[in-house]
Amino acid sequence: MTAAARSRRLLAGPLGLVALAVVVGSVFFVTGTQAHGQSNVVSTNPSDILAGQQLFQEHCQACHGYEGEGGQTSAPPLVSVGAAAADFYLTTGRMPLNNPGNEAARHHPFFDATQISQLVAYVNALPTITGTNQTGPTIPTVAPLCPTATPDPSDPGCVTLSEGLQAFSLNCAACHQAAGSGGILSKGNVVPSLHNSNMTQVGEAIRVGPKPMPVFAPSQMSDQQMSAIAQYVQYLHHPADPGGLGISHFGPVAEGFVAVLFGFGILLFAARMIGTRG
Amino acid sequence: MSTTEERAAEQKRYAAGKSVLDTVDERFGSSRFLTSVLDKIFPDHWSFMVGEIAMDSLIILIITGIYLALFYVPSSTDVIYAPTSGHVYAPLVGQHMTEAYQSVINLSFNVRAGLIMRQAHHWAALVFLAAVLFHLCRVFFTGAFRKPREVNWIIGVTLWLVVILEGFTGYSLPDDLLSGTGLRVIYSIVEGLPLVGTWIVYDFWGGSYPGTTFLTRLFVIHEFIFPLLIVGLLTAHLMILWHQKHSDFPGPGKTETNIRGSRVWPQYALKAGGLFMIVTGTIFLLAGEIQINPVWLYGPYNPYTVSIGAQPDWYLGWLDGSVRLWPHWEFASFGHEIPNPVFPGILIPGLLFTTIYAWPWLDKKIYSDYGAHNLLDRPRDKPFRTGVGVAAIVFFADLTIACGSDILANDFHVGFERVIEVLQYGALLGPVVGFVIAYKACQALQRTGAHPIQRPLGGVIIRSANGAYHTLSDHHGNGHGDNGHGDNGHGDKADAVANGHGTAEEAPAPVGAADEPAGASD
Repeated sequence: MTAAARSRRLLAGPLGLVALAVVVGSVFFVTGTQAHGQSNVVSTNPSDILAGQQLFQEHCQACHGYEGEGGQTSAPPLVSVGAAAADFYLTTGRMPLNNPGNEAARHHPFFDATQISQLVAYVNALPTITGTNQTGPTIPTVAPLCPTATPDPSDPGCVTLSEGLQAFSLNCAACHQAAGSGGILSKGNVVPSLHNSNMTQVGEAIRVGPKPMPVFAPSQMSDQQMSAIAQYVQYLHHPADPGGLGISHFGPVAEGFVAVLFGFGILLFAARMIGTRG
Repeated sequence: MSTTEERAAEQKRYAAGKSVLDTVDERFGSSRFLTSVLDKIFPDHWSFMVGEIAMDSLIILIITGIYLALFYVPSSTDVIYAPTSGHVYAPLVGQHMTEAYQSVINLSFNVRAGLIMRQAHHWAALVFLAAVLFHLCRVFFTGAFRKPREVNWIIGVTLWLVVILEGFTGYSLPDDLLSGTGLRVIYSIVEGLPLVGTWIVYDFWGGSYPGTTFLTRLFVIHEFIFPLLIVGLLTAHLMILWHQKHSDFPGPGKTETNIRGSRVWPQYALKAGGLFMIVTGTIFLLAGEIQINPVWLYGPYNPYTVSIGAQPDWYLGWLDGSVRLWPHWEFASFGHEIPNPVFPGILIPGLLFTTIYAWPWLDKKIYSDYGAHNLLDRPRDKPFRTGVGVAAIVFFADLTIACGSDILANDFHVGFERVIEVLQYGALLGPVVGFVIAYKACQALQRTGAHPIQRPLGGVIIRSANGAYHTLSDHHGNGHGDNGHGDNGHGDKADAVANGHGTAEEAPAPVGAADEPAGASD
């Protein structure tokens, strides 16, 4: 085998991988969810509501009460929480709880997508069923990203990452950290990382305010800002990340550990190897 | 196999080289100086090289810093990010920011090698301070600060302080979210100083926070004042070291008036040069492989925004931790409230640094030892001093951990309040526990045995066919005495000294010897 052939063979594997990555990456870039935004329709089909009611009776009413009027434990009434709350708590696996005393933390969803949509349909229909005229926020629609970095005047329905960054650092970074890595509030309330949340969930959390997060109602935060934040959080899952390993974007604490233990550690070892003990 | 022509050519080359050196020597008389410099002896113990790691990091900081200064714009002028060429960071397009932040973004994305230089600069700063602290601890635990080296201790501690401030000013220059938050904290701590606080911050910031002049001033401080101070102090530090000679651990053949080790040329120069390359390599490895301070994710600083996880760099963590751990006590004097952050932010560091500065004189009092020492203490032989040092390390570590209390609480799923409470007790009890353990450990070590270097030499002696003697402990395998440079002052030092080939340099006598002693004995 000639040298040229050998180097061709040596390079074929890595180059192939790179080419594959480029192809997959560009396909993903073109068809990624961010380009489209996200919207979920709540079913009002009676059969879905009926199926949801059965699921509710099996899994929820022990705590939340028959027709969601609230239980004797700390379980809140669900009559007028709205579809967004139901969808958020179920798709993020926060509900149902194993034990009523547990904290509602992110988990694998207990129900599959169909069951969730049926339960959401039922919770959405609860005001009608119980004759209450109060209802909570419905599942928000996240607007798509503009094709350009600046807002497109001809397309008022789209949002930019720049709007998202501004609204995020003003409203969210104080608890969720500038890169969405999560943080902690006092009294043991965990502020989760946002790296697993999809756009709909972010929009729902903004509108619903899952405890201890405050509610950002449309009067305080426009749909445009809500969509921009949801898009920016999506962006933060895989941000433009030059400069090497991101070490969770946790900032100076993680960097200090690396510098002292790894960087200075190597140098101390080198000094020990060069010097003597005498 | 050299022919006549080759020999002639070599003689010619030799003559040419000699004439160049003679020309220099006749004019500058430098050969005597060079000889004394190149024959200078430095001891070989590995811990003495950590100060060099700090110096090497400083060199990298200066070189990368010059590169960064070419592209950084120290201006608080408000601009709107709208680049027309090069790489555009989309999430910032159309946002208001200072020109300084914009220049850092451009430096990171559009300047060739800009990002790796910025990351190397930042990593080098973090490694620099680790080396400075290790060096400080080494000097403390071995009693190297004792007479005649008290002044160098003062200079060293001042260097540490200036380097911390230099690091903090650098952290504040990019004007991203973290920079601004850090400056806001410092502004408030200084502003809280009774009587003078508001005047000081108004003078420094040229008005109320954040102002429009401060970044320019900060740049001058970071770029000229502190670097000049650091280089000046370091020069004094090294000149004093050169004059006083390096201290060394006690060992066979080592006395208060001699130094054993390697000559500057060639051994020590090669070791130090190699270490410099390793430091450079390690720092650029970090710079190339691990991201540090992604300012584009933090976004530009606005006084009304903040992010959790906003900590200072690790070397200033203890100050942040001190503020976090201090209880919410309120004091008033003469009817004026003294703001709470003044106590943990200024009083505690003030007390700590005063103690550190005064330690050489406290140490004299504690041990009633006012004499000069060129031989170091082993830490175990001075249990009280070692205990105090360990207590200080535990205290600093506790405060540094407190700086990351929010991240600790998040990662270990422990309530934030509980973490603070534990660390508050830790700051009070930890040093006491550390002192007792260190004290007892020193006593136990004193009882159980000697340092390996003090083990008697030899054991098995072998006589070779031509009558030479070897000991089996002579594991260095050097030639004996056929060349003075081969002696590295260890296993075969007794042998070498006996043959008159040891590299021993006279150090000044403990009391009042002023004349520069002769160089190496061969």
